[in-house]
Amino acid sequence: MYPRPIPPTARTERRLYLVLVIAILVVWLAPLFAIILTSFRSSADVANGNLWGWPTQFNLIDNYTGVFSRTPMAQYFLNSLLITVPSVIGVLVLSTLSGFVLAKYRFRGNMALFAVFVGGNFMPAQIMMIPVRDLMVRLGLYDTTFALIIFHVAFQTGFATLFMRNFVAALPDELFEAARAEGASPAQILRHVVFPLVRPAFAALAILTFTFIWNDYFWAVVLTISDTVKPVTAGLANLRGQYVSEWNIISAATMIVAVPPVVMFFLMQRHFIAGLTMGAVKG
Amino acid sequence: MTSIWRRQSGWATPTLFILPAIILFGVVIVLSSLQSLWISLHDWDGMGAMTWVGLDNYRELFGDPQFFVSLKNNLIWLIIFMAAPPAGLGIALLVNQQIAGMRILKSLFFVPLVLASVAVGVVFTWVYTPGFGLLALIFSAFGATAPALLSDEHFVTFAVVFAALWPQIAFCMVLYLAGLNSLSSDLIGAGRVDGAKGWNMLRHVVLPQLTQVTFIAIAITAIGALRSFDMVSVMTQGGPFGSSSVLAYQMYEQSIFSYRFGYGAAIATVLLAIMAVFIAWYLSRIIRAEARS
Amino acid sequence: MSSLELRQIEKRYGGYRALRGINLRVEPGEFIVMVGPSGCGKSTLLKSIAGLVQVDSGEMLINGRDVTKAEPGDRGIAMVFQSYALYPHMTVAENMGFGLRMAKRPRTEIDAAVGRAAQILRLTDQLDKLPKQLSGGQRQRVAIGRAITRSPEVFLFDEPLSNLDAALRTQMRVELSTLHAALGATMVYVTHDQVEAMTMASRIVVLNAGSVEQVGAPRDLYSNPVNRFVAGFLGAPRMNFFEAKIVEARLGQVSVETAGLGRFAMPVVANTPLAIGDTATIGIRPEALKLVGNRDGAHFSGAAQLVEYLGRETIVYADAAPLRCIGSDTGTGNVTIHLPGIAQLETGASLQIAFDPANAYLFGGAEQRTLSAPKTI
Repeated sequence: MYPRPIPPTARTERRLYLVLVIAILVVWLAPLFAIILTSFRSSADVANGNLWGWPTQFNLIDNYTGVFSRTPMAQYFLNSLLITVPSVIGVLVLSTLSGFVLAKYRFRGNMALFAVFVGGNFMPAQIMMIPVRDLMVRLGLYDTTFALIIFHVAFQTGFATLFMRNFVAALPDELFEAARAEGASPAQILRHVVFPLVRPAFAALAILTFTFIWNDYFWAVVLTISDTVKPVTAGLANLRGQYVSEWNIISAATMIVAVPPVVMFFLMQRHFIAGLTMGAVKG
Repeated sequence: MTSIWRRQSGWATPTLFILPAIILFGVVIVLSSLQSLWISLHDWDGMGAMTWVGLDNYRELFGDPQFFVSLKNNLIWLIIFMAAPPAGLGIALLVNQQIAGMRILKSLFFVPLVLASVAVGVVFTWVYTPGFGLLALIFSAFGATAPALLSDEHFVTFAVVFAALWPQIAFCMVLYLAGLNSLSSDLIGAGRVDGAKGWNMLRHVVLPQLTQVTFIAIAITAIGALRSFDMVSVMTQGGPFGSSSVLAYQMYEQSIFSYRFGYGAAIATVLLAIMAVFIAWYLSRIIRAEARS
Repeated sequence: MSSLELRQIEKRYGGYRALRGINLRVEPGEFIVMVGPSGCGKSTLLKSIAGLVQVDSGEMLINGRDVTKAEPGDRGIAMVFQSYALYPHMTVAENMGFGLRMAKRPRTEIDAAVGRAAQILRLTDQLDKLPKQLSGGQRQRVAIGRAITRSPEVFLFDEPLSNLDAALRTQMRVELSTLHAALGATMVYVTHDQVEAMTMASRIVVLNAGSVEQVGAPRDLYSNPVNRFVAGFLGAPRMNFFEAKIVEARLGQVSVETAGLGRFAMPVVANTPLAIGDTATIGIRPEALKLVGNRDGAHFSGAAQLVEYLGRETIVYADAAPLRCIGSDTGTGNVTIHLPGIAQLETGASLQIAFDPANAYLFGGAEQRTLSAPKTI
């Protein structure tokens, strides 16, 4: 291990070390604490500039219920779920199929196809913005959740295919040969061998794509305008314009946007990190 | 009949498997990107007919002072973002200890990474708020008054980039932590036996084993810097007076607000051309690594 | 019990010819072992039989049925892999029944087949376990059980014992031979371990550079290899080869001469291409060399460089300069001598070595074919 582990016997060093790490962590997360703290405050405190002292009253409940009753945040939140969940499922299905084929079938253009999937993933969103928007308008899907679902599934399939391909490629070839030798068709291999074995990858990919899609802001503003369709990210940006000085409300709304991915992250931390670092570390 | 089907099925089924991904990705991502190149050669308001203007959009672009402001800001983003990999490595080295409670502390360091960039933008707007933001508080502790960063055209881009660095450092830290955990303990042991310590160990034994991680951290950070849009849009909307705009935002503004789709497409094309350098670098290394295995 | 026939099988990888016109007929119930150095094409050939590799040309028949283009699952074969290739998410029973499940056989039939195979392989108590809960030997048996369950026409084994430790390997070797006798099934087995080949095979197929060098019963191959390659490949320690010159050639007999060994006569086959002055290779198996008491009865002398006591046998690596083995693979000593029992020898001891010219081999011509008269077994 590097750096050299602090031995368990060095009690004082350990304590000092922990104090140091926590001190740095506090500085690191200070901006977040500021928002959390503000989301507890009353409008009076915010208006009077009492932002860092002890709150004159705790408005935790008021602020959060206020966000839901005074703003369309509940609607945005629902929209986000309606966009994110189907998209994640779509990405998982498509990328498992394509990743399996790219990993275990040799054909001309395999590498080129792989490169297109990976490369497309790094394109600036702006290069596809106009045609995608135009396509959705022509399909009559502009300003519907479908527009965002279709785009997210398409875009995330690039990264997800890379991910699933690498995962399936790491499974031993002999497993697939054994299945073939036993008469399993490609579809049966997919069902009985691939699906059961890629479950850990599913978890990692699901949490990653959930975070990416939930946090998307650009496509939300490009493809939606109505409050009935908008996800939380675009919604929050809207609220910023409306509630310019009510930082307690904005802060609470920000927390609502931020919390689902953070909760997902803490629930599935191992998978998230494994997913994010896959490929970066090996080789 | 069945035998023909069986023989066909050797290729038919896999083709069927990969087709949905190819079609969707091909149409929405690849074709759209190519279409933008085509649109950039036209004058188009997004609704009416497209008028062929050749390279006029590009000519106009290279005479547009706002384009150079955006380009300069993109460069600032790129340069400052290069602080993320070393900073991430620093935090990773700091927290890479196995002590009770470290797991949760490490996770807390990761939090900025999973926050929506809109949320990060709002958080830092709040930090920078003149008068009572966190920054103002720190300045007043030293008896000074904090500048209004987001409305000062000299500071605004730096303020936005600094905010964007936050999640980017967390990303690099995650990569480096995973890298540190996959170090060969034999090599570290050999280094210790040879008397390498501290900086020497890092420089000669640890970092050489992390080249792949470093490459990915730098490449993705660079691409991320050039792609920046969300933070600019949320924190400044390119302002004041376009001074914090970047190519991605200028393109959006020209298309969505000014209905100049051809001009917007031309900006996007230039952005892509700049990013292509990094994308090609990244891809060629990934593909070469694949070809080796 | 089924036959297997390969006709002119060719396989190319790019410009590389992995299989060069392989012809082989396997009789029903035979246990065929394919051996050869790594890269000789033995695994490619086995995978071609399984249908996992598509051959470029040639025909493959199982029981007279052309299966050259058939899907692996339709060929009537079952394969045991080097890594066992057990599905980690399935229990032992599910692993063993997977092939029948793919063939959409009724549940009862699958259970019965799995039960039978489990009984043969003593896995009845392990049926509900996952592969990771089993020992290496048990996993190996599950892999074999998976093959048995399908009651295939031909069993294919791809170095199935190479991942086991030495003791387990010996045990599984015996079990596999017993299994073959009990099932009477046709089996094709690939290995690089010549002990496995010698002990298990009805016939051995020696492959080299994508071609069949020789096919025959283990004792035939050992006693009468067709060429220097087969002679050198089978037998451990390896046969000693010496370069020699033909000094006299008559019908049925030649005399050879080599530095350090002098001149001696050997019986040869009738139609040798050899003429006086040609170079040829003399081959003498290490066990055909013996130590004699004095210089008079000896063909050559040497000094012991390294002595390996293996218990019931002793292997001596000797320096017999000017006599020099060609292609010695140890680098230590020039001549390998294999002695029965424990031979009390000090390093550096001087040795007087003799052999019976009737036990020596002569290889010559462009392909280093065996030219010495066939040995009687």
